[in-house]
Amino acid sequence: MIEKGKISAIQMGIMIYPTIIATGILLVPAITTRHAKQDMWLSPLWASFIGFLTVYIAVQLNYLYPKKTLIEYSEEILGKFLGKAVGLVFLFYFLQANGIIIREYGEFVVGNFLTNTPLVVVMGSMILVCSFAVRSGVEVIARLAEMIMPVVVILIFVNIILLIPDMEVANMFPIMEKGIMPSLKGAVIPVGWFTEFILIAFLLPYLADRNNGKKWGMISVTAVMLTLSFINIAVLFVLGGVTDRFVYPAISAVRYISIADFLEHIEAIVMALWVAAVFLKVTVFYYALVLGTAQWLNLSDYRPVVFPMGFLLLLFAVWSAPNLMELTHFLGTSSPFFRMSIQTALPLLLLLIAKWRKRTNNPNQVKCQG
Amino acid sequence: MGMLQKAAKILFVSIHFILLSGCWDRVEVNDLTLILGLGIDQTKDGQIKLTAELVTPNAGGGGQTVGGGGGGGGQVQTIVSSGTGTTVADAISDLQERLPRRVFWGHTKVIVFGEKAAKAGIHQHLDFLSRNPKIRLRSNVLVSKGTAKSVLELLPPIEQSSAEVLRELSESELLLQVTVKDILQMLSGDAGAAALPMVKILPPEKGKKELETIAFIQRTAIFKKDKMIGDIDDKLTRGVLWLRNEIKEANVTITLKEEKGNITSTMIRAHTEFIPEYEKGKWKMIVKATSEDDIILNGTKLNLMNPKYTKMIEKELENEVNKRIRDALKKVQKEMKADIFGFADLFHRKHPREWNKVKNRWEEIFPTVEVIVETKAYVRRPGINTAPQGLPEDEVKE
Repeated sequence: MIEKGKISAIQMGIMIYPTIIATGILLVPAITTRHAKQDMWLSPLWASFIGFLTVYIAVQLNYLYPKKTLIEYSEEILGKFLGKAVGLVFLFYFLQANGIIIREYGEFVVGNFLTNTPLVVVMGSMILVCSFAVRSGVEVIARLAEMIMPVVVILIFVNIILLIPDMEVANMFPIMEKGIMPSLKGAVIPVGWFTEFILIAFLLPYLADRNNGKKWGMISVTAVMLTLSFINIAVLFVLGGVTDRFVYPAISAVRYISIADFLEHIEAIVMALWVAAVFLKVTVFYYALVLGTAQWLNLSDYRPVVFPMGFLLLLFAVWSAPNLMELTHFLGTSSPFFRMSIQTALPLLLLLIAKWRKRTNNPNQVKCQG
Repeated sequence: MGMLQKAAKILFVSIHFILLSGCWDRVEVNDLTLILGLGIDQTKDGQIKLTAELVTPNAGGGGQTVGGGGGGGGQVQTIVSSGTGTTVADAISDLQERLPRRVFWGHTKVIVFGEKAAKAGIHQHLDFLSRNPKIRLRSNVLVSKGTAKSVLELLPPIEQSSAEVLRELSESELLLQVTVKDILQMLSGDAGAAALPMVKILPPEKGKKELETIAFIQRTAIFKKDKMIGDIDDKLTRGVLWLRNEIKEANVTITLKEEKGNITSTMIRAHTEFIPEYEKGKWKMIVKATSEDDIILNGTKLNLMNPKYTKMIEKELENEVNKRIRDALKKVQKEMKADIFGFADLFHRKHPREWNKVKNRWEEIFPTVEVIVETKAYVRRPGINTAPQGLPEDEVKE
């Protein structure tokens, strides 16, 4: 096995939580609001069903192939040629998805704070830091997550509390004015984020306590769902009808905080900690990508591919969109379906084939293969 | 480890010292001048004239253009500078040309629209103000009687700058307070109308120079869509505040029918509840205004410790508040036909289906909405006096 580290199920849950919400709180509230209007806080609830499904698929596949990652068992399920092809699809997808994540991060930092800094510098420095973390292995990433996650959570809730004086509960009404449809339409966007839970397929093989993997995966989905809903509600209460007029409603709301003319302009702190969350997100994606690549190429170590992959990531980040408008348009239209088909539908297909083969084949034969 | 490898490592680390300082977007504070207040006026030929009240960190003694200096010695000094252009953004560049330091937006506290600019429409100015990530959505927005420039130019005797005066006045919430976020919400909401506080220059006291005075919030500017259509005075504004459930502080003076003299009470708590009703094509709004008051002045001969009088005073207070609300409704709803109370949002929330059918005709429907005003006042305490002070014992009526 390439990765020799061991993490616990709780660590996995902690790692995956900031991985989902880091960029989920940036562009998503605005795009969701455009479809769901004042019901946008319901959308993460609907979207989380896909999250639960994805975790279920990953865990079931892990039961069948305990010591293997997504890339390894797709080869076993589909045979050498098809398996390699599917593996390549996954790897290419993770490369592109991570490129987009890095671009979202870069756009946000440059658009709001460092307006004159070239995008490439902002993105490149992030990739460099992440590649150091990736090279240190899964245990180090897990411990980083344990350090960063609590701060991120506390910060989100402190901000929501500080916004309470400016909240207007009436902004929420009428609930479900046009039925359930708008909030379901709005849910399509966060669905893309919930499908990212498939990343646990790269972490499950390294769990010391595999039996708890499912439990902590599900807890993580629930936590993400609640966090996104809380943030959406807070933003809606503060900004109301103009929520979708802002590119980053959450940060616009945080900027509005002013307690006794004294506690204000606190977005710099938010920013600093949010960067830490994005760092984790990029690192986890990066790790899955590099580990998968090494397994796909049958390498004995994944470290040599880290830096070359970093350069590729930077290129993909630059190439992913010519400007913020195209990026948002992509995230708001085709991206959810793209992400769902690769991160949820394709693994589901793998699971069904694997189950079917287990049933038809002689159990002994499977054991030989596995 | 070879020498070369060691050297490469040291080089690698040293490169980081350059990057880690994070100096790319560095701006030194002594290259900056902070915008405290922004005034937007429209000139005769349709150009935008932008006036900024600037404060310069470390300005030392110099730099005062208008002489005098605000307040006591050694305080921050502000200068006022203007630029013109076809849009606000243009005008800013024009203004920047004349300043040796770069303007910084993070401390903009107030944004003042001149009356003319307000009448011409403010949506493109607001777009600029909310699109720029450096400007705060919390800045207070006001309209000035006359030009915005004349308001920002003043040298207030109390605070350090006109912008600070206006911010403090806004935040006292005696009359309307509106931030950039609020006006954006009002303009994009269902009602299609907005209200902004309006300032007027207080005439300087005798013996003071012309500019040594302040501007104060005295009126309310009424907007339909993004264009100002008129303004109402402070009395009517208080009625409007009731109808927006924003009333915070108010003194109400009444006279009782059987008694000579005035009684003034001050409001401790006030709350307005709205019950939107829809019945067979008729829109009805029940406004329930409740207040809790303390007596602060008793000019009559009544001993207010008697609960009988309390009832009478409460009744009279209710009538007075009711009248204020009715006056505001008469002017704003019937004459100006601008839904600055946000009734549209209330109807939308309560009766979404019916409202959606008429939402395009709301402007016609709003003046016909029947408003029923129910007021309730509770006098809690007579202050710390019992019988009226300064009267002989035998004249007091128990």
